[in-house]
Amino acid sequence: MRPVAVTGLGVVSPFGTGVKAYWNGLSAGVCAIRPATLVDTEGFRCRIAAEVPDGIGGSPRRSRADRLALAAAREALEDAGLSRDERVEAALVVGAVGGGMLEAEAWYWERFRGRRPASRLAPGATLPFAHVEALGNALGLEGPRETLVTACSSGAASLALAADLIADGVVSAALAGGVDALTRVCFMGFNALKLLSAEPCRPFDRDRRGMSIGEGAAFVVLEDLERARARDVRIYAALAGHGMTTDAYHVTSPHPEGEGMVRAMKAALARGRIAPAAVGYANAHGTATPQNDRIEARAIREVFGAERLLISSTKSMIGHTMAAAGALEAVATVLTLVHEVVPPTAGLDTPDPDVAFDCVPRVAREAAVEYAISNSFGFGGQNVTLLFGRA
Amino acid sequence: MARVVVTGVGVVTGAVTGGRERVRAFLLSGGGPALSVPGSALQGLVDETETRRLSRVCQLSVAAARIALADAGLGPGAGLGLVLGAEFGDVRSTREFVDGYLGRGPAGLSPLLFPNTVMNTMAAATAIAVTARELSLTLNAPTVAGELAIARAAAAVRSGRVAAVLAGGVDEIDPFLAELLAEAGAVRETRGEGAGFVVLESRDGAEARGARVFGEITGAAWRALRARPYGVGHDSGSRALAAALHEAGVAPNDLGRVWISASGDGPRDRWEQAILEKALQPARPPQTALVPRVGRHSGLGALAVAAAALDDAARPALVHAIARGGTHVALVVRGQGEPGSQRVSGHPQ
Amino acid sequence: MDPKEILDELKAILVARLKFDPCRAGDMALETPLPKGIEGSIGLDSLDFIELSIAIEERFGIVMDESQDLTAHFRSFETLCRFIARKAEAA
Repeated sequence: MRPVAVTGLGVVSPFGTGVKAYWNGLSAGVCAIRPATLVDTEGFRCRIAAEVPDGIGGSPRRSRADRLALAAAREALEDAGLSRDERVEAALVVGAVGGGMLEAEAWYWERFRGRRPASRLAPGATLPFAHVEALGNALGLEGPRETLVTACSSGAASLALAADLIADGVVSAALAGGVDALTRVCFMGFNALKLLSAEPCRPFDRDRRGMSIGEGAAFVVLEDLERARARDVRIYAALAGHGMTTDAYHVTSPHPEGEGMVRAMKAALARGRIAPAAVGYANAHGTATPQNDRIEARAIREVFGAERLLISSTKSMIGHTMAAAGALEAVATVLTLVHEVVPPTAGLDTPDPDVAFDCVPRVAREAAVEYAISNSFGFGGQNVTLLFGRA
Repeated sequence: MARVVVTGVGVVTGAVTGGRERVRAFLLSGGGPALSVPGSALQGLVDETETRRLSRVCQLSVAAARIALADAGLGPGAGLGLVLGAEFGDVRSTREFVDGYLGRGPAGLSPLLFPNTVMNTMAAATAIAVTARELSLTLNAPTVAGELAIARAAAAVRSGRVAAVLAGGVDEIDPFLAELLAEAGAVRETRGEGAGFVVLESRDGAEARGARVFGEITGAAWRALRARPYGVGHDSGSRALAAALHEAGVAPNDLGRVWISASGDGPRDRWEQAILEKALQPARPPQTALVPRVGRHSGLGALAVAAAALDDAARPALVHAIARGGTHVALVVRGQGEPGSQRVSGHPQ
Repeated sequence: MDPKEILDELKAILVARLKFDPCRAGDMALETPLPKGIEGSIGLDSLDFIELSIAIEERFGIVMDESQDLTAHFRSFETLCRFIARKAEAA
């Protein structure tokens, strides 16, 4: 199996457009969760979200999610400096859930009220596969193409599957990532499940009360390591391993002992042939639900031992960005290795005594980390762990 | 690199529900089209709680998965993965969910329905029902999702990442969706509904447990052909076909049959013919289309792979699928004839 | 409200919101356990309970405090009816 390098990064986040804005926000521990404006929140207990600010760019005829994806994908491809010929052969793997649902909802709302909708509904632009079609066409990508829908782990699963294509020698480069725009269905649904906090989420805090929702997009360029070295491109990190497992336990609740989480983390270490002690940081799934954080911390402890590594949750700052989460958090993990700074867990006032780790409360920590993992544990028990190594 | 064998199939469609024997009989019988799955097809395949809690499209998936695992002789705890392709997901539940809000405000929202608004709900329900705890993926694509899922699953088995996988897909006919598609000017093609899975295993693992192997996937590849989103391309040069044939060690004139994805969408069907002609010429293996009999849905990929395997043990077959927008899948399938098997695709299409 | 009336309302909710078969609902009695894993129960899981809570709040005009552990109240129809009756009276 051929080793895989990360050679390009692209982000659109609640901090704004670009990797730089993203890292500035993360390293400063800024919380971007505010009163929501994209959807009507009247009558809901939770009325906040982490929205991407204006200035995304792209044609207004495209869905918001397509525009988020295009902006992030372009940045990553330009960062990696892939030539036109290289793009033609490159794989494209996108994690998506909502697709163009935000626009489809607006259309449906009008129709339900007996009004003639202003725009036509395009089914091809609504479903999750819309993004690969838009990106492939706009960016000249004609290699293997897939859309993964694995709920909250979609963005991470896409990196894992793209890495497999490179490791197997099917392609030598891939553009992989995830995207989700805020949607009414997502916002209302998590409200209905009583999983959302009325205040910005506080992962790993003793008094945490639930999730916050966010939106965004992140893409990375992955390449065969030798090929990357040969063409002398900047290598951010190695994607050293990954694990993908399923709880097969319950449609919304995780296995109470985090059994699938443990297997995913162990599989990533095994694949990378790395001992647990070599890992210095875990970017947690850390949604701030009472259940997830407790079970995840326990699972991390089972794999790594208590207090052996630093943990923080990016969701404390940008909320749960759904299909984009795994990709946005992978980028945060890579940047941690590059800058030797661990981003904090914002809003962490009183660490949960049940969590046997330093969760880097509120202020970033300087730390030269050799290996780091990023966890994404999706609804329905779809678990992905990515293992990154310093370049 | 492991060899990838087919040890089971399960389909729940309008025209056929069952494992390999039923599929074989269906192929011999001719006739159709039968586009909708009758209510009776699910009897005995889902339990009382599943009937209550699972939406129809999830039930179709669970039923087909159970049939496939029984056909393969695989029980729970088998280190099983799942790769499921879908084009539309659970449209019915999504609509019911938002209608609840539009009709009665926040109090009208149903927590039970919400998980079905994410397209991985069928895979989640199926993984729980059959205890599939290795990787579990949902792939969304127009037209070719089932074939794509099988190609991705074959790659995972070949590289040793998983020992056994249920691979295939499911789609449901929803009248509202059909109305929307017609209104939006979507292409007219024969759409059906159903679920289908094949069980793929490493050959060594299958032999070790004494499985009844009935086919092998010797080549699997997927790429994209240049086209506008949801459009038909002009390009007919195909990397997917070349890669699949190369992996299988097969030349175009070795192929005994091509199982095509033609569905009544004229421009797309013609594009498929152009692609095949360019890649296979001067060979012109006979073609079979299954859509006229069961309609187009993501369960069709598994039916096509099983059909290709059951058809003719002497020569490899190509299962081919191309979508508007350019997603392109090619699978090379060999039958491993069981005693007494006969050719099943004698009649022209 | 008396327990029998509340039971009838709960059965109606089980049919309308939790998709139980009306015949099955007809067989349910006050002693019937609710959570899955208990012998003779109607097999409700955590998601069913969230749906049920919302429907109960709406139908009976009460509010359930999520921060409290309500498991004991949801053990059987009898415990649930008593809980609802008490809350409705206080409301």
